[in-house]
Amino acid sequence: MTNDNIILSFQDLDIRFTLRGQVLNAIRSVSLDVYRGESLAIVGESGSGKSVFTKSAMGLLDANGVIAGGHIWYGGRDLTTFTREKEWLTIRGKEIAMVMQDPMTSLNPLKTVGDQILEAVLLHQDLRGEAAKKAAVQALAAVGIDDPERRYKQYPHEFSGGMRQRVVIAAAVACRPKILICDEPTTALDVTIQAQILDLIKALQKKLDLTTIYITHDLGVVANVADRIAVMYAGDIVEVGRCEEVFYDPKHPYTWALLSSLPQLGVKGQDLYSIQGTPPNLFHEVLGDAFAPRNPQALNIDFVERPPFFEVSPTHKARTWLLDPRAPKVEPPEHIRHLRQKGGYPHG
Amino acid sequence: MPKYILKRILRSFLTMVIVITVVFSLLRLMPIEGYFENYDKLSQTQIDLGLQKLGLTDPLPKQLWSFGKQLLSGDLGVSIRYRKGVSINTIVAEKAPVSLQLGLTSLAIALALGLPLGILMSRSTRTKWKIGDKLGTVFIVIIQAVPAAAYHILIQFAGSQGVIHFGDWSLKLPMLFKLGDYRTYILPILSLAIGNIAYYAMWLRRYMVDEANKDYIKLARAKGVPSRQISRKHVFRNAMVPLIQYIPNSILFTLMGSLYVESLYSIPGMGGLLVAVIKRQDNNMVLALVVIYSIISILGLLFGDLLMALLDPRITLSSKEESR
Repeated sequence: MTNDNIILSFQDLDIRFTLRGQVLNAIRSVSLDVYRGESLAIVGESGSGKSVFTKSAMGLLDANGVIAGGHIWYGGRDLTTFTREKEWLTIRGKEIAMVMQDPMTSLNPLKTVGDQILEAVLLHQDLRGEAAKKAAVQALAAVGIDDPERRYKQYPHEFSGGMRQRVVIAAAVACRPKILICDEPTTALDVTIQAQILDLIKALQKKLDLTTIYITHDLGVVANVADRIAVMYAGDIVEVGRCEEVFYDPKHPYTWALLSSLPQLGVKGQDLYSIQGTPPNLFHEVLGDAFAPRNPQALNIDFVERPPFFEVSPTHKARTWLLDPRAPKVEPPEHIRHLRQKGGYPHG
Repeated sequence: MPKYILKRILRSFLTMVIVITVVFSLLRLMPIEGYFENYDKLSQTQIDLGLQKLGLTDPLPKQLWSFGKQLLSGDLGVSIRYRKGVSINTIVAEKAPVSLQLGLTSLAIALALGLPLGILMSRSTRTKWKIGDKLGTVFIVIIQAVPAAAYHILIQFAGSQGVIHFGDWSLKLPMLFKLGDYRTYILPILSLAIGNIAYYAMWLRRYMVDEANKDYIKLARAKGVPSRQISRKHVFRNAMVPLIQYIPNSILFTLMGSLYVESLYSIPGMGGLLVAVIKRQDNNMVLALVVIYSIISILGLLFGDLLMALLDPRITLSSKEESR
């Protein structure tokens, strides 16, 4: 931890799951720095490991998952050395909080929303009794819920999906965390509500000086909120860079494929682009570039040796042999190169 | 809510009227031979006189009406065959407290042991070897799979014959029940409780495992709530809601006693009473017992629903059918 600006740092992290006697390499030696105050988006398809990756920083892996190697640095401590719940309780909520995907199920149906926010306040803010209750009511007001005094006493089923997600955010923020992980925060919501929730998180981030990590497969969300993007594929980060770098100057073939799949880039009358094949089976060792079997332009070396990170700019790097000086020149697909002309970011 | 309760009570009353009418009418189809001990030797006049005395010669609606009136005044009638001439109120008042006392004690024990066992088992599912869960499952499977008669006899035998012993001391509890001698209560209570222990442990474990895998538990963990507190305030509480519904019923049903356990330990309770009076064709007692049992069942369901509504805010009791 040399750089003061790095709040959370993953180093060569390996995460394995044991499923029916087989070992699945969910995260394969991944390194990533998260900067203080930034908004980072981790994008990737289902099963790419983006959720597992961030959960490991809160000690919330399922019982059959273990951190098999690497480090997670936070505040000068290596979180991978934590074994007891007591140690994790100094991180969960207090330092890193989380907003989950489905607001319909992430609140206890038998407790008032007030109680569920109060629970966080009592644990993480030095308040008791009336003062704590007041803080919980304020938390409700802060996420834009009208008449918070009355709403405090209501149960989750009396709230709509978007309102429940606001409550979940209020509970997470009431922990006073430094980092807020938003795991697909808008996936389960109505399109009209999605933008409101993202705006709310953005506003809270600014107000409370939060670092936010979004986990999503929706590039529209990413374009809206992210300063930086990390593209994840088959348990590995294949490209990371500033938002405009990844959108306008993508280097990894998987990022190309991902961007090509945007429906906004489709031409009327033509089939939408889809990536051929399926992600590799992580029960087996992945040789070379995990994306090579699905990449029609893969080089021979892609099947043999895992590419290192090549730096494109100080803030942009990608794990692809195409960036090696000896590699043949392969251009990204035409329509991606014109993404900038097509009216900027693809808004979802 | 009061309106709903009133409506439920009125509907229960209607159910009772239907139950009584059906049972009353069916009982009238029984052969009249059953009412007399020495039917073959009686003359037609004696038989007619006997039937008239029992009030069986009146038209059915009239009989029903007078029975209803008598019932509303709190009188269950008089036994005609089982204990001839004795008021049924007296018989029930003698027998019901015995069943109730044993039943309630055993239920309290079943809850006190079964619920912690369920909690232990569900917690153990998150440990590596799940030993607690596996041992508990073995116990539950044995209790559920082995016919109850087998383990009742085993309990009676092992508890009374000195099979369990340490040195000079051996466990020799009385084999049969004696009213007032509390040492004789132990084995029957254990017999009555053991099935319920398994029952409550099984369902609580199941509901707790269900709840523990829900998203809101993950959010609670992410908020930094310690797992003990999650277990107590979220998992256990939510898992009890579907279970609590059956507790009023369990309490009320102890009144009915257990046919097998009561006959095994020769307990003078309510268990088996209905079978006995049907065999003896004691119509009045059959009716009285059916009335008692229906009241118990109806009240049990009503209290269960009310408790559910108290505990689960998503359930609002209203008189509108469609809001259920």
